[in-house]
Amino acid sequence: MDIELRGITKRFGEVVANSGVNLQIKAGEVLGLLGENGAGKSTMMNVLSGLYRPDEGEIVIDGKPVQFDGPGDGIRAGIGMVHQHFMLVPVFTVAENVVLGVEPTGPFDSLDLKTARKQVREINETYGLEVDPDALIENLPVGIQQRVEIIKVLFREADVLIFDEPTAVLTPQEVTDFFKIVRALKDAGKALVFITHKLHEILEIADRINVLRAGQIVGECLPGEKTDIELAEMMVGRPVNLEVEKKPYAPGEVLLDVKDLTILREDDSLAVDDVSFSVRRNEVVGIAGVQGNGQSALVEALAGVHRVAGGTISFEGKDITRTSARARHKMGFAHIPEDRLKNGVVTNFTIAENMVLNSYYDERYSKGVSMDWNAVNEHAAEYAAAFDVRTPSIFETLNHLSGGNQQKMVVAREMSRDTQLMIAAHPTRGLDVGSIEYIHSRLMHARDEGDAVLIVSSELDEVIALSDRILVMFKGRIVAEFGAGGRPVDKNDIGLAMAGATL
Amino acid sequence: MSEQQQAQTEKLAHQLLQRAAPSRTVYEDLIIVPVFAIVAALILGGLVMLATNVSLEAIGKSYVALIYGSVGSLGAWSETLTAATPLVLAGLGVAMGFRAGFFNIGAEGQVLMGGMAAVIAGFSFAGLPIYIHLPLALMAGILVGGFYAGIAGWLRAATGAHEVISTIMLNLISYRLVDYLLKVPFIQKSGRSDPISNAVLDSAQLPRLLDWIDPNLRVHGGLIIMLLAVWFCYWLLFKTTIGFEFRASGENADAARFAGMRSGLIVVLVMALAGALAGLAGANQVLGVLERASPGFSAGIGFNAISVALLGRSHPIGVLIAGLLFGALEAGGRQMQVDAGVSLDLIGIVQSLIIAFIAAPLLVRAVFPWGFRGKAASRKE
Amino acid sequence: MDFKRLAKPALLAGMMVLGSAASALAFTACQVTDTGGIDDNGFNQTAWKGVTDAMAEHGIEGRFLESQAATDYEPNINSLLGGCDIIITVGFLMGDATAAAAQANPDQKFSIVDYAYDPTIPNVLGQVFATDQAAFLAGYLAAGMTKSGTVGTFGGINIPPVTVFMDGFAWGVDYYNQQKGTSVTVLGWDPDTKEGLFTNNFESLDDGRTFAQNLYDEGADIVLPVAGPVGLGSAALADELGTDNLKIIGVDADQYLTNPEKQGVYLTSILKQMDATVKSAIEAAMDGTFAGGLEVGTLENAGVGLAPYHDMDSAVPAELKSEIETIKQQIIDGTISVGM
Repeated sequence: MDIELRGITKRFGEVVANSGVNLQIKAGEVLGLLGENGAGKSTMMNVLSGLYRPDEGEIVIDGKPVQFDGPGDGIRAGIGMVHQHFMLVPVFTVAENVVLGVEPTGPFDSLDLKTARKQVREINETYGLEVDPDALIENLPVGIQQRVEIIKVLFREADVLIFDEPTAVLTPQEVTDFFKIVRALKDAGKALVFITHKLHEILEIADRINVLRAGQIVGECLPGEKTDIELAEMMVGRPVNLEVEKKPYAPGEVLLDVKDLTILREDDSLAVDDVSFSVRRNEVVGIAGVQGNGQSALVEALAGVHRVAGGTISFEGKDITRTSARARHKMGFAHIPEDRLKNGVVTNFTIAENMVLNSYYDERYSKGVSMDWNAVNEHAAEYAAAFDVRTPSIFETLNHLSGGNQQKMVVAREMSRDTQLMIAAHPTRGLDVGSIEYIHSRLMHARDEGDAVLIVSSELDEVIALSDRILVMFKGRIVAEFGAGGRPVDKNDIGLAMAGATL
Repeated sequence: MSEQQQAQTEKLAHQLLQRAAPSRTVYEDLIIVPVFAIVAALILGGLVMLATNVSLEAIGKSYVALIYGSVGSLGAWSETLTAATPLVLAGLGVAMGFRAGFFNIGAEGQVLMGGMAAVIAGFSFAGLPIYIHLPLALMAGILVGGFYAGIAGWLRAATGAHEVISTIMLNLISYRLVDYLLKVPFIQKSGRSDPISNAVLDSAQLPRLLDWIDPNLRVHGGLIIMLLAVWFCYWLLFKTTIGFEFRASGENADAARFAGMRSGLIVVLVMALAGALAGLAGANQVLGVLERASPGFSAGIGFNAISVALLGRSHPIGVLIAGLLFGALEAGGRQMQVDAGVSLDLIGIVQSLIIAFIAAPLLVRAVFPWGFRGKAASRKE
Repeated sequence: MDFKRLAKPALLAGMMVLGSAASALAFTACQVTDTGGIDDNGFNQTAWKGVTDAMAEHGIEGRFLESQAATDYEPNINSLLGGCDIIITVGFLMGDATAAAAQANPDQKFSIVDYAYDPTIPNVLGQVFATDQAAFLAGYLAAGMTKSGTVGTFGGINIPPVTVFMDGFAWGVDYYNQQKGTSVTVLGWDPDTKEGLFTNNFESLDDGRTFAQNLYDEGADIVLPVAGPVGLGSAALADELGTDNLKIIGVDADQYLTNPEKQGVYLTSILKQMDATVKSAIEAAMDGTFAGGLEVGTLENAGVGLAPYHDMDSAVPAELKSEIETIKQQIIDGTISVGM
């Protein structure tokens, strides 16, 4: 099945989300759609799936113009979306989730799960998905859950599959498996749309690339024609620097020293198991690992918001194992939390309020119990300007900002004072190229100014690009060390260590 | 950073300090929607009354009475303000809890306990001058109400017990505790065998403000205390570090904890403050209106306070307006009974309809689609 | 907005205001109920009957206001000031509020049911009732009728107008025991210690059911609920259990008549003829003979009494009936002194 979008324009009030977009989707081909957050990718796909009705232009399927009046029409026409956030019922089995809404029925309208299971197995075999139809969703890893979403779409007999940022939640190994499935679908004659802002993935998987910027298609090419830098510049609309510039490695004295640290999760299982390491001034230490191997607990314990079961944390030679988050903040700890929305910001607060969320008590911002809002606002505006937080006003609430700008706000807050230790967990997750470039340069600036920097990320490329030394965590332990004083940095070796292989 | 860049950043920072003018949506939400809500409720209430065989005459008469009885005369204003005062005070307490993310159902019990403390202080200590005795009695209400609610806060902080359950249980305890206390010989009015307290001495009564015009005007000094409390809550919530902590914890407790705020302390503080305000509402009733305590003297103020707080969107000014609306409905409802002979139950339905419509702005926008140009504000709460 | 549609009710409303202003010239009697409400099948309703009787007979205006809580007493009285020639407040609990309003408005006539001021207030007529005299008869009757040898009572709130019923009831049972050498016991009230069972409200029908059930479980087969509409719950229970197992004695009005759905359960009712005293207070205010002070209803002036047995008539032995008539005469002539 071939689909063509012709001159699609979609406005929301005065905002033009898509303007005269032309797009061709062909059977047996992977179309890569590249664009920054807010470039209009999601709007375009929602038009395609029938959720939005375009103000101008038409959708043509196999040569015939069609009109969609609702999301059901898109599905009926054979267009299926695999969303970034899965829509699965955790306590249902795979088969139950797949048939949800289109249940095959037996006599007297009874639910025919047997047929459902059989059909799931057939889809499994056709595309090599290897999903147990009777497994409960809540017991499955994220990568498998994504396959369930794919089965759901295939079960509804979709010929066009749209993937919205499919790799954002996957580990490097899961990404490899996911690409295999994409190729199998392509070989079976499906038309595929792959939406992302990750350059190397699109170069690897796409047969054709469209770049979207500010609601318009700004370029079309084949993978071999352009380099990643050229694509990035097309996407951002200005020259970018994907290489992280940093001064030569010249570590200072040890600032943070962790000895025999053991941390338990809430259910008393072991999150961090007897870990020791140190971070020096003028040094970036990266912690690599597949998510769920104890990095989160480690970061939270260092920031003072998670209880420590054993071992010590020292800062400038002083034992701070039991000190509060507030006390550490005063010592010069900065913390970019892993889950920005959950732990880092208050979305209903203004930018100004968020900017002082952890320093409101400081004498710069308050006298006794009385807040000095003028001072807060002035500082907030200054930091927002300096850290490129794009907003009409600091009195906007944070939920009006894009994810990238929210993250820049967090980075601005954490770096806008005299810091000693920077703890950054997934500092660029889900962000576009421009924001990533900016945040990386800020982290490097902190290192060069004498801070100790600890970076935790599941993006191996990011860890390698930023770190002077790399520690790999697996099942709560540090299993390997690369870079200065350790093994030579090798992406393949690090990936193996993350997967638990003994080197 | 070059000088040019710096100048540019400064200019940008200056631009970021501009505030956007309040949108049409804000204006519609604050003024037009409530007006239409009242109209819709009156029409629907009229239909309900028609359905129960109330004549059209009586309906017209009762609506005139509703307005006349709430704002139509000095006496009506006095009654509206008298009824609104405790609702605003207790509503502020509930709203403070909401702001910090705590669903305090216990205002009723806190009103009772604070009121009992104020009564006891109010009939004891004969011979004190009013400028000592009255503040003493008020303070007794504040402290005991605060302490009583603080129990729920402490249970939450220390054991994780959910405040909805603990405050409901504290309500039940307070009813029986009041029954018991009212039978204790030194509290119970002498010569009576039913549970009723001694009368508050003159020196501890909130003075009536307008009795020099007409002795039946009941509005009393509690009104001034209430207005001070509104100002205090506004200041605390929006101008202090404590209020900042309350609001941050209420909006996102995890982020507040990550920002180094002490959640346990905040729970206890906010619950104690909520109880203090509810206790003050109880003191206001016994020292300004009832002059004594009898079983159930709270008369549901603590529960209406929850509606007042929600309707006022947990904003001190909003709570003041919502409390005045409740007070006006109470005073006007009485006049509906007097003038039109409409039954108390029907009046209750009309009052509830008005409140329900105001609480559902989206419903009003749907019923009256014209006249609303602003986009409906999506509220995340 | 369609103006015509709006205009009509507004016009009507305007006419009503004028209408009410005109009718204010007629004599108006107003009643404030306590929290039991105007339709309590009990004393609020009986008092209101006095007002409606006067309306029918003399063509006057009548109004009432219901109180939802104790906090309503004072504003309810206040909102009637000026528009009423006499304000009748019903219930002991309104005593303080009525006194305050009467002292603040010396020109307004008041009459309060169930409250005696000492000293009296010049513009308030208190109506009290020697209910213990009638309850004494009911107690004697109950003791004569019980099969289990146990009868029960409970009250709304421990206040004199309630406990006076329970006193008389208990004394009547005692008198029967003395006369007949029996040992019928009374559950729920001890006239010596002034302690007993109270629901602590005048509203909850559920409490009426629960309290009657408890007394029944303890062996009582006749129960006297002295708690206004709460007693309706007890009547519902008796109806379910069957009148052979549980009978109810009504209070205030003849509840055989006011509660027709469950009329079979009432052995009799202890009448408190507030309708008569309320009506006479209104008439006194109308003809200018109103004076503050105290009016006491007794067996002698028929202010209190025992209702007919109605359906139970055949069940009550003739001998017991005549004994009760005799005792009634002895109370009136002072041979028997209730409570001494």
